[in-house]
Amino acid sequence: MKPQVGILAASCYLPQQRRTVEDLFREEGATYDSEIASRLGIRQVPIRSDDVRESASNLAVAAAREALERAKVNPLEVSVVVEYSILPQEYLVPVWNMSNKVQAETGAVKSFVVGFSGGGASNFMVALSSAAAMLSENDSMKTALLVTGDATIPGNRVLNPVDPVTVMGDGASAVVLQRDAPGSIVVDTELWSDGNNHDVCYIPGGSLVNPDDIGLYRMELDRTRYDAFPKTKTLRRMSDKLLDRSGLGLSDVAAVLCSNISSEDEAALQAAFAGKISAVCAANRETHGHLQGTDFPLNYLSLTQTGAVAQGDYVLSVSHGMGATAAVSLIRY
Amino acid sequence: MNANIGILEASYYLPPTRKPLSQVFADEEKPTEAFAANVDFEKDIGIVALHVAGEETAAELAIKAAKRTLAKSGIDPQTIDLIIDFTSIPEDYVAPTWSAAGRVQKEIGATRAFVTAINTGGCASYQTTLKVACSLMSANERYKIALLIAGDKTPEYNHNYYPITVVSDGGSAVLLKKDMTTRRILAIDVATLGRLHDMWVIPGIHNRKDEDIGGKFPRWLHVSGDIQRFNKELIPMNLFMFRKVMLGALKQIGKKLQDVSYFIYPTFSNWDLKAFCEAFRIPPEKIYTENMHHGHMQETDMVVGYVDALEAGRIKDGDLVMLATNGAGFSWGASLIQH
Repeated sequence: MKPQVGILAASCYLPQQRRTVEDLFREEGATYDSEIASRLGIRQVPIRSDDVRESASNLAVAAAREALERAKVNPLEVSVVVEYSILPQEYLVPVWNMSNKVQAETGAVKSFVVGFSGGGASNFMVALSSAAAMLSENDSMKTALLVTGDATIPGNRVLNPVDPVTVMGDGASAVVLQRDAPGSIVVDTELWSDGNNHDVCYIPGGSLVNPDDIGLYRMELDRTRYDAFPKTKTLRRMSDKLLDRSGLGLSDVAAVLCSNISSEDEAALQAAFAGKISAVCAANRETHGHLQGTDFPLNYLSLTQTGAVAQGDYVLSVSHGMGATAAVSLIRY
Repeated sequence: MNANIGILEASYYLPPTRKPLSQVFADEEKPTEAFAANVDFEKDIGIVALHVAGEETAAELAIKAAKRTLAKSGIDPQTIDLIIDFTSIPEDYVAPTWSAAGRVQKEIGATRAFVTAINTGGCASYQTTLKVACSLMSANERYKIALLIAGDKTPEYNHNYYPITVVSDGGSAVLLKKDMTTRRILAIDVATLGRLHDMWVIPGIHNRKDEDIGGKFPRWLHVSGDIQRFNKELIPMNLFMFRKVMLGALKQIGKKLQDVSYFIYPTFSNWDLKAFCEAFRIPPEKIYTENMHHGHMQETDMVVGYVDALEAGRIKDGDLVMLATNGAGFSWGASLIQH
């Protein structure tokens, strides 16, 4: 029988500074009205200062240290650092990746590092699934530190300003996974990609194709293709398949966690998942906006703190990855 | 780990246009800092010309390599379960938001696959990706075939990676499959020295300064290396870290260095290859050196060296093959393939 891998601890590290969405729309020259406010369901987002202490990688280091402390894990016991950011980092990825810095600054010096690209917020589930696989399949590996720090490109917080989809904040998170953990078992993950949508949400400038156009250095969304992607249908199909593998159905699931994109997005998921999307998602979305992969550790921590789930309960996490990579993970508390 | 995951097929694509190294050195910015090794960087490197891509994009190099590999294998793209991009230099669009994996999926018609990219390890991303791919395949019954792809197109006028190497453009692809009886991946070990993370970076468009974009050599995507730290902190650790991962991989299967029949090593430079062979007492007949003529191709070196050695008949049935490399970040990796 394969060993079980579970979450020992998680943490989020968010900048103190908050900005209202109304302010950000004004600053970015986008129209903000009651209809848009209602569709987004976001009031404010955390925003890092210009202080280097709040760089994406330093936020990630802080989150990682806190997660290790909460897990009571000596950094020297970490076998692998797995990074799941989605926004550009201090230097150009993949030549540089913050996971190396996190490894050094947390003292996890016996580990090696892995970072993942693509997939929007689903990148968290890609990291979770890969880390769980490494821990269950390699005898020499016992503990993984998953980590991200995402800092939005200045002036690019409103995604698709002509018809806004979400508002992006800054933040970091970390999760400690361990083989034979006592709870929060990562039961299974289902991942699926649509290569036709590889560029549905991307940053067109700043790399090989447009190396010199700073005007193209911003996250762009192709709204038509994004809307056309059958998000809820895909996630429900994937969830049913995953649950079926474990001999379960949606009725066995205590709560579903989604990424904090918008109230419109959540409403569609509520309909697809029989109203099981946890209330913590809406609450976190209102006060934090969309924090990329950090949405999931944030919602997981909030759900745990509410006491609404008990030991043995099943929780699903679902992400459509903006239409490029969809992901569903099942966790047993 | 499931020991029956093996390399079903591997191939690479190199753009046909070649640029003599003398021209590369004439065209590109001259390094000014001294290199600790007692060599003449331009004369002793052992590479005479580089492959340059021209109009082809980095993703297109990967797609061509993927199509070649699929054609050689006879595998239906719709049976591929996983595609992992292991490119280690800037791609067509900014990472980690984008990777070429999705475009490769689209172009080869691997409609059933899940795709992702591994963006750590530099040239050692090959080993890191093998580790992740084999773990995912071993842990999940449903993942039976994986396609690993890379496409490297060096930013214009940045082929000179002084003091390490000079770099070519190219793409590579490797098909992994379960239930193999030969070319089985027996062990993979990877180690990272994260404290060297900021020694070798591309600052990126968001960090550009006026002096970066003016003058004869605009540094849009240029690698920036700290040569003093390279000399003081990396070189003294390099062979130690190689030893660590090579012995680490061997320990996983109870073998010794003497049990390795053949080695695949990157084409950084003649002096680097010589130092590696001397340190580990590897005789010339146990390592492939003829591929130096391609120039260095980042993580793709591992695939090129392996494919060339196979095609030259240097790897035989029953051989235990070790692939070892290092890469920016910095990471070191070694894997063992049983033929």
